[in-house]
Amino acid sequence: MLSRLVFVSGNALKSSGSFGAGLVQASRSLQTSSQSLAPVPPLPEKGGKTRHGIIPEELFQLLYPKTGVTGPYMLGTGLLVYLLSKEIYVINHETFVAASIGAVFIYGIKKFGPQVAAFADKLNEEKVAKAQEVKDLAVSNLTQAIEDEKKEQWRAEGRSMLFDAKRNNVAMLLETNYRERLHMVTNEVKRRLDYQMPSRTCTVAWSRSTWSTGSRRASSAASHLSRRRPVLPSASQT
Amino acid sequence: MMTSFFDQFMSPSLLGIPLMALAFVLPWLLFPSPAPRWLTNRLLTLQGWFINRFTSQLLLPVNVGGHKWALILASLMLFLISLNMLGLLPYTFTPTTQLSLNMGLAVPLWLGTVLIGLRNQPTAALGHLLPEGTPVPLIPVLIIIETISLFIRPLALGVRLTANLTAGHLLMQLIATAAFVLLPLMPAVAITTSVILLLLTILEVAVAMIQAYVFVLLLSLYLQENV
Repeated sequence: MLSRLVFVSGNALKSSGSFGAGLVQASRSLQTSSQSLAPVPPLPEKGGKTRHGIIPEELFQLLYPKTGVTGPYMLGTGLLVYLLSKEIYVINHETFVAASIGAVFIYGIKKFGPQVAAFADKLNEEKVAKAQEVKDLAVSNLTQAIEDEKKEQWRAEGRSMLFDAKRNNVAMLLETNYRERLHMVTNEVKRRLDYQMPSRTCTVAWSRSTWSTGSRRASSAASHLSRRRPVLPSASQT
Repeated sequence: MMTSFFDQFMSPSLLGIPLMALAFVLPWLLFPSPAPRWLTNRLLTLQGWFINRFTSQLLLPVNVGGHKWALILASLMLFLISLNMLGLLPYTFTPTTQLSLNMGLAVPLWLGTVLIGLRNQPTAALGHLLPEGTPVPLIPVLIIIETISLFIRPLALGVRLTANLTAGHLLMQLIATAAFVLLPLMPAVAITTSVILLLLTILEVAVAMIQAYVFVLLLSLYLQENV
């Protein structure tokens, strides 16, 4: 307990100048753990092992090589008998008070000890769970953001394909339009030419029919007709 | 020199040096100070939980102005509970059995609440001296009675704690002495007396905790009236 007093006051005085530093140095011999401050050393999982709740296990380990398993118990019994027989400790009414308060205390610890320990552990676990929840939420939000970003990038790639498709579409429309006009032109030319064939055939047939009767007049008329009417219509007449 | 049952309540001294200060500094050693880590051991976790819970429950009905008293009321509670519980151990001295200590705690705190009330809201503070709905002829009498009750409060606070603890300790000593004396004479009766002692011990544990709580609760009540 005195060492704990030293620790507690040492902690409080550490920041108060030279006296505090001296106290920390003085108590250094009492400290058994390693001396670095950062990172903070982890707490041991369980407290120190004790036998019957009060007596540290180290005492039993200390006495085991010399006195075996029953050593500390013999020591305790001998000590008690010595105190009683020499009347260093006198049994009086206070002994009864000690017995009853001891009984109440031990009963309380045995009955409620595990529950209280579980409750304390639960408090710590809730603390950790709350922080873990925040962390998990942040991680899931960030993962979701990464996936959304990837999707947006994929969409952006797709947009260039969309532009290509639109460009192809427009080119196809233009091509179609050009071909339509070409087709129309071809049809029109063919139509004019189709007119010329039967008219030529007709003219030749008529000139042959009129050749025998009035040959000069007919041939001059035919040649005059053939000279006057061109084979292909000129551009101005169409 | 005959030892009497009241020797346990004498102020302890060693070779003329009064040990009273040592007696009521001892509980401070039993409360670990908060550690510079996030997850602490079971004792510190439970201590922190208890203090937080207790203070929030105690200050629920008090207005915001009274929340300044959170620290002193919480530490007073821990002080009284630890002193009372430690006094149940044999051969220990319980400082709270001394009327001087309890009055020293009760009077300044009560006076503090009264002065705060008179300074910040004098009308309301004086208005507490007359309960609502009293019939007119009774008003003068009732004001006198309420004033007396106001001044009796610190006395009641101090004496309640002293009397409860002193009576409990005395009773435990008496019944233990009875059991001790009867053991060689009438063992069966001695066993019955021991059983009574056991029950009384359980009662004393409860009384120790309840009296500390009542002290602090009443102070918070007086604060609530005046803030």
